[in-house]
Amino acid sequence: MAEKVQKWYPGEGKLTIGRAILYVVLVLGLISAAARLFLGLGATTNLNDAFPWGLWVSFDILAGVALAGGGFTMAATIYIFNLKKFEPLLRPAKLSAFMGYLVFVIGLFFDLGQPWRIWHPMVMWNPHSVLFEVSWCVMLYTTVLAIDLFIIGLERYGKESWIKFFRDIYLVLVVAGIMLSTLHQSSLGALFLLMPQKMSDLWATKALGPLFFCSAVIGGMSVITLESLLSSKIYKRKPEIGILSDLGKGLAIALLVYFAMKVTDLYARGATVWVWDWVHFWFFVELFGTVALPALLLSFPEVRKTQKGLYWAAGLAAFGVVLNRFNVSLTSYIGYRQFGYFPSAMEIFVTAALIAMGILIFDLGMRYLPIHRSELGGEH
Amino acid sequence: MSKAVLIDTTKCIGCRACQVACKSWNDLKGERTVFSETWSNPRFLSSNEYNRIIFREIDRPDGQVSWHFISRRCMHCNDPACASVCPVGALEKMKEGPVVYDDGKCIGCRYCMMACPFQIPKFEWGSAVPLIRKCTFCAERQALGLAPSCVTTCPTGTLLFGERPQLLKEAYRRIGSEPKKYYPQVYGEKTAGGTSTLYLTAVSLEDLGLTRVGFRTDLGDVPQGIYGRAWMSKVPFVAVAVGGLCVGLHYLHKRRAEIKAEERKEG
Ligand code: SF4
Ligand code: SF4
Ligand code: SF4
Repeated sequence: MAEKVQKWYPGEGKLTIGRAILYVVLVLGLISAAARLFLGLGATTNLNDAFPWGLWVSFDILAGVALAGGGFTMAATIYIFNLKKFEPLLRPAKLSAFMGYLVFVIGLFFDLGQPWRIWHPMVMWNPHSVLFEVSWCVMLYTTVLAIDLFIIGLERYGKESWIKFFRDIYLVLVVAGIMLSTLHQSSLGALFLLMPQKMSDLWATKALGPLFFCSAVIGGMSVITLESLLSSKIYKRKPEIGILSDLGKGLAIALLVYFAMKVTDLYARGATVWVWDWVHFWFFVELFGTVALPALLLSFPEVRKTQKGLYWAAGLAAFGVVLNRFNVSLTSYIGYRQFGYFPSAMEIFVTAALIAMGILIFDLGMRYLPIHRSELGGEH
Repeated sequence: MSKAVLIDTTKCIGCRACQVACKSWNDLKGERTVFSETWSNPRFLSSNEYNRIIFREIDRPDGQVSWHFISRRCMHCNDPACASVCPVGALEKMKEGPVVYDDGKCIGCRYCMMACPFQIPKFEWGSAVPLIRKCTFCAERQALGLAPSCVTTCPTGTLLFGERPQLLKEAYRRIGSEPKKYYPQVYGEKTAGGTSTLYLTAVSLEDLGLTRVGFRTDLGDVPQGIYGRAWMSKVPFVAVAVGGLCVGLHYLHKRRAEIKAEERKEG
């Protein structure tokens, strides 16, 4: 293993235009976030008593975590279902998962009315509360991911004795990660179980937990696909099309299962589906445009085996997961509330900055950590 | 021993003395408020308005218009959704009746606002150190043996404070003795598992057009909190099942690989 710290990529440490833009967005977001801390939520966001949860909950928290589902999905695929061929995707998946959870935690920090009390759920317990469980799971899982990255970091610096210790307990980490993810991914949906009367029939279902779990698997797989394609372009390596099209098959199956779950659920509850208004418009886009369509696309080998096809299918599926979170947490209430809600510029800046931060961290990881197999002296 | 308040809206004259009493007892800031289309003022509950009288005009069959005045405030549910969802247990139902809030615990996640079926908890949006605010059922007055401020102030006896079972009995006595005057249901008796704020109205809440402004009639008789609690009761089992399955499958695959390797060695 590397005895001295070497450069992984040509151009490591250079500032490109893309990175410069990301830094600008990050600074804008930092200013907005500071304003939010000093002036309060009312002055800087468009949240109100009728829409207590807005963009930050829908995107940073709900969508962010769902898109970061790749970490546990890949860990389960490789270690539990023994599909070793996906191994090259594991580390990028972990890195992107960590990035997603970081977005979550920071997003939550600014969304809370009293961010400096973010630690309260650790000592003040309410085991009846789904949110209490979510906060514990997310806290623990982020720790698991951080340890994971720490191990990868140790590899770069060749700390063999430490690595051995972690490898001995590795199964514990993997199982804990999968367990915690299963729980909080579904529980994020279960947050909305309490308000069936306030929500549109299209999304108010007892099955929200399993549905959120399933779409987190979809979100995870599509983000891994996108991220692998994009990073091979940026870091000038050959895309792993073979593995990705196999993953595409898995994604298609997950999408079909999800589609079947949704349709069965709607049918079983007798929800009124065939109406034309804005709420239904977003529902149709979600169900047909971002679940059925990518599943259909991926069923063609011509699509699955080309970069462009994979971009489109995975892009649609990932967008669908985000749209679903917005629909459940915002669109669903439109018919019910007396006010409207559209995020303020500051809210958008903060969210954009979080995305930029995620990409920058991912970039740092790609450049300074042995994420790809070719960089390793062999996987354990 | 659980206290409640019976609000007989047929007696209310819309003087809003209870609104004022509530504001002054709780030391709530004055705000510039606006009238609603039906002359209610303030138009919304907020972190500075724990109680408001909703005005309603109803066209009667005889061509006359009748006025109705309905006080809107926290229902002090027997099994409150707000307390059930709060991740830090900042909201709590006291056995004496009030649902109270602990300023020192709240993290400001606003889940209680999302979950309350009556949309009662309000947030101090204007503050950089915001808290949740809602009617406290004057718990601190009750602790001193006093009735809530609004009840003491009401000049017409619309607000009746007492033990919940007794108040329910009284409500049905009134309905029974003057069936023409009352809609034959007590709102809050069973709604969402029952509440400590009980309402008598002249006509149904649907006819009053109140079901969309907090007086929901589609909640059923179960407290909303049980949906979350039912989920939480499954969590430990899911955790054990997923964990067990993962470990099991992992070792199964490992064993298979070992057997294969051995076979290869032998063969
Ligand atoms: S009405 Fe809402 S805020 Fe009041 S006790 Fe019930 S759930 Fe809590
Ligand atoms: S906003 Fe405060 S009181 Fe409401 S659920 Fe969150 S922590 Fe509890
Ligand atoms: S009980 Fe107290 S806090 Fe509640 S409305 Fe009456 S005066 Fe206000």
